[in-house]
Amino acid sequence: MSEEHDQIFVGLVKESWKHFNETLNNTRMDDLLVGAVITSMVEQGYALIDLNSDGTNHFLRFEWLQTKQRVIFQLRNLAEDLLTAKVMGRKANVTIGYGEVVQNTQAVFGALRAEVKSQYLDAGEPGVITCDADLTSGYIYVQVPLILDLDQYFGANWSVNSALLQKHIYATVQALAKYLRGRLSA
Amino acid sequence: MLSFLSNFKHSQEMRESKDEILIGELVRAMSRLQAPAVGFYAGTGQQTIKFKPINDPVLNSVLLTVDRKTGGSALSQAVIGSKATVIIQAEVKNYLADPDDLIHMYKTDLANMFKIPMLGDTRLDHQLNSILATKKVLIDIDTYILKGEESANLTTQFLNGLLTELRQKLQPYKKG
Repeated sequence: MSEEHDQIFVGLVKESWKHFNETLNNTRMDDLLVGAVITSMVEQGYALIDLNSDGTNHFLRFEWLQTKQRVIFQLRNLAEDLLTAKVMGRKANVTIGYGEVVQNTQAVFGALRAEVKSQYLDAGEPGVITCDADLTSGYIYVQVPLILDLDQYFGANWSVNSALLQKHIYATVQALAKYLRGRLSA
Repeated sequence: MLSFLSNFKHSQEMRESKDEILIGELVRAMSRLQAPAVGFYAGTGQQTIKFKPINDPVLNSVLLTVDRKTGGSALSQAVIGSKATVIIQAEVKNYLADPDDLIHMYKTDLANMFKIPMLGDTRLDHQLNSILATKKVLIDIDTYILKGEESANLTTQFLNGLLTELRQKLQPYKKG
């Protein structure tokens, strides 16, 4: 085998690694999002208290330990396939929920009544805010599904724009908190 | 419940969430060390996270496994506290393809590694074109959580120390 053939072989392996990494990076995009959300929330002062996955959706729950306010996430990568990611861009379905402990059970049922009546509506449409409750722990949540463009948060070479992600999460949580308090006082 | 709320364990107590709080602190600390999380793997009683060090001249990836040892029940929490084993595994990946270089690497570095698989308390191993250095540390979870910026600084220092040590041990094996 001549030196020239060695170099051709080295070039083929190098090219293969490039294609392999491109595909691998795309399939890891949902885990990268999970990590970036955890970093953003912990930097804001929340504690991660639950982390699980059903293989497609990833679920995260955070708590502001002093006030018991909770923020929950459901994350799903919409472009795990490289072709989809290249054509449509990297997108993720992100549902963010905000919850507080409510002692007044009447207020909880009042807030939930509208949701039970409209359970046949498609609550998966982006921007639709719905209420839900976990009666065993006394929490009432409001949540909103969003479709986020991941290209704005993740650059080449695994770089993460944490400041922008943190700003977007903060704005969403503030809006949900305002909505929840309004619903409870209505 | 109408939504994805049913995916969470709602009855769990704070002592049962300490593993997750620690995971959160580890992810944040590694992010501060320019190594974002790129993989999450949950096992029975343990969590493993994969990190990608950005622009690190030696390390290709880092795996952190948190294995809770004590403190899951109220009694052991009160008597022993919350201890966990943190296993850190750093990886060097050599993108060698030239047959002459590969033969040289197998005859020297990897053959030597079989003679001395332990360097201090760090275990060295290799899988195909990856060289792995693994270290196991027992920690008190309460030292690294629930103290705000103090926790963040302590966790970052703890991980930075481990990474520096593993990087030094792996440096001789980095090719190309």
